[in-house]
Amino acid sequence: MAELTYREAVAEGIAQEMRRDEDVVFLGEDIGAAGGVFKATVGLLKEFGPVRVRDTPISEQAILGAAMGSAMTGLKPIAEIMFSDFLAVCWDIVANEIAKARYMTGGQMSMPLVIRTANGGGSRFGAQHSQSVENWAMMVPGLKVVAPSTPADVKGLLAAAIRDPDPVMFFEQKSLYPIKGEVPDGELVDELGTAKVLRDGDDVTICALAAMVPRAIQAAEILSSEHGIEATVVDLRSLVPLDAKTILRETSKTGRLVTVEENPRLCGWGAEVASIVADENFWDLDGPVIRITTPHIPLPAADELEDATMPSADRIVREVSEKID
Amino acid sequence: MAMNVIMPQLGETVSEGTVSVWHAEVGDKVSPKTPLFDVSSDKVEMEVPAPGEGTLLEVRVEAGTTVSVGEVIAIIGKEGEAVEVVAPPAAEKKETKAEITAPAPALSIATKASNRDSNGNPLSPAVRRLIAENGLDPDTISGSGAGGRIKKKDVLAHLGSGAAAKPAPRTDSLTMSGETEVIPFNNLRKMTAEHMVRSKATSPHVLQAVEADFASVGRARQAVSTQWKEREGFSLTWLPFVARAVCIAIRDFQRINAQIEGESLVVQRRINLGIAVDLDFDGLVAPVVKDADRMSLSELARAIRDVSSRARANKLTPDDFTGGTYTISNSGVFGTMITAPIINQPQVAILSTDGVTKKPVVIESEDGESIAIRPVGVLAQSFDHRAIDGAYSAAFLHRVREVIETTNWKSMLT
Repeated sequence: MAELTYREAVAEGIAQEMRRDEDVVFLGEDIGAAGGVFKATVGLLKEFGPVRVRDTPISEQAILGAAMGSAMTGLKPIAEIMFSDFLAVCWDIVANEIAKARYMTGGQMSMPLVIRTANGGGSRFGAQHSQSVENWAMMVPGLKVVAPSTPADVKGLLAAAIRDPDPVMFFEQKSLYPIKGEVPDGELVDELGTAKVLRDGDDVTICALAAMVPRAIQAAEILSSEHGIEATVVDLRSLVPLDAKTILRETSKTGRLVTVEENPRLCGWGAEVASIVADENFWDLDGPVIRITTPHIPLPAADELEDATMPSADRIVREVSEKID
Repeated sequence: MAMNVIMPQLGETVSEGTVSVWHAEVGDKVSPKTPLFDVSSDKVEMEVPAPGEGTLLEVRVEAGTTVSVGEVIAIIGKEGEAVEVVAPPAAEKKETKAEITAPAPALSIATKASNRDSNGNPLSPAVRRLIAENGLDPDTISGSGAGGRIKKKDVLAHLGSGAAAKPAPRTDSLTMSGETEVIPFNNLRKMTAEHMVRSKATSPHVLQAVEADFASVGRARQAVSTQWKEREGFSLTWLPFVARAVCIAIRDFQRINAQIEGESLVVQRRINLGIAVDLDFDGLVAPVVKDADRMSLSELARAIRDVSSRARANKLTPDDFTGGTYTISNSGVFGTMITAPIINQPQVAILSTDGVTKKPVVIESEDGESIAIRPVGVLAQSFDHRAIDGAYSAAFLHRVREVIETTNWKSMLT
């Protein structure tokens, strides 16, 4: 078992699949010679060459248009959108074309592509480079949405996404790139649409995603030691498909649900989770659902302001301890 | 066409009634063949069927509410029909249209549990479900949440502790549990309990008893027994004779036939005899025979028979319970010797007749004293010492005995 950073796990995952399948190609801005603006793709150009690892012009439409076309004609492209905020400029290709092709061709065409993108805040990049837009992707029928929180999950889920015959939006949380974690040696392929229970407690079930997962774990430890509240922490890992079974089971067990979301509050993924739990688990709820989110604002660039807006471990501890009686 | 369900006129002298139970919920099908609600007044409980076929669209009066006769208490119509509010008969006709929502869908059991406990703390869905599933009373569960809120784990702990083995007190049917059997009070039992406690708390009871020789009564009964039964369809008991004697005695001792109002004794001119009737061990009622003193012995016997059989058939009306001025309780069928009865408020005295049995009695005559076998019974009266004193009560009892012993009853029946 090797200890890898989150960013190293990205490159490992891509390399694993490119070695395995010649149809897997990789394209994006500065992903080759530069090794990625976040250094998440170092070494790929050297190993796989400029035909399969392509630096592109600064045009998100061009990247995704090329990825879509190559997927439609037999390749399995991985496209990088450097900042997930930039998905907005190519959203027609994502939401109207990539997501719809299989449906509109009556299944004659598949779209085996992965759109990797650096998502989320905490790095002082300001309102146009810090957004957490996983909920944008979640609300488009036809897209799968993955957001891992650990290096092992990055590698395993990325491999699963590349092998999936349908388009997968793969959100890497940019503030997590430096974190380290154990990654099993050898080939690693995870399963999409599965959540992981990372901590077991009887009092409250905290569902979190990506960068919010380590904060939820940290908060759970403080809740236990300082407030006597034992939290179950569920890493959703995937929004589409959503592992509702695990969410419902774990929520039913404690009777309380907390969502910790980096996306802005309105129509954040937690709203959907809360709705599912209210539908399916109403008679098991022992109190209101608590949603802890970034407020519905453009994210500030200033250190203190950005820290104040994103859910922190302290804020999770405060909200949970105040609202769970 | 929606129709109104109104509080029925249950008797001439009844102006209001209490809806004690609704047998249907909004959205249920109702029919004249099945009871829609129960009405209770003073001491009667009656089932009232729906006035027509249809769906119960609206219930305007919660169980436990007392409303005037004629007031609209519910609306029946077709499912989903908008309700035209028809003004009660007394008021002027108003053509008001009221919005009414479609009948609620059938509710699951859990939704029937209240969403607040008696302290006003919220009961979460999980707690409500557990309470409903296990028939618990939230008041018996201690809450560990904020402000004493009952949490799911509190209910689970309660269930685990065995405390929940006790049935909820509001259970409607008889519940068995281990070595005890809990029989919740029905409405009549509750009213009796309340009345008895109130009577004892209100009136200082004094018990007096006399022994009466029922030989003359016995001769009369023996003489007419067969033909009476053939003619009337029921047996002639000792009771009508006692009742008749009481009516005669009250003429001489009118303050027995009275009630206390403030610091006055209100003596009643009419003699309306309450007759205590046991409902086959399932309750006690005391319907009233009005103007009993104006009846002949036979009429009185029939009137007593009438109210007691209607009582056992649950066919009494609220009018049957109003206006009593004196009550007679009869435990004689079981051969008891003496019973200390509790006054039927607001009356001031009550008589208990017990078993009439053959006893050796000393007879005084011109030929001297001799011992004879005579039917003897005890007449026991509890009186309210606020209203009268022992001598007055004793004199009344003496008069009753005198009437029983000296009247030629046989001549009254043949």
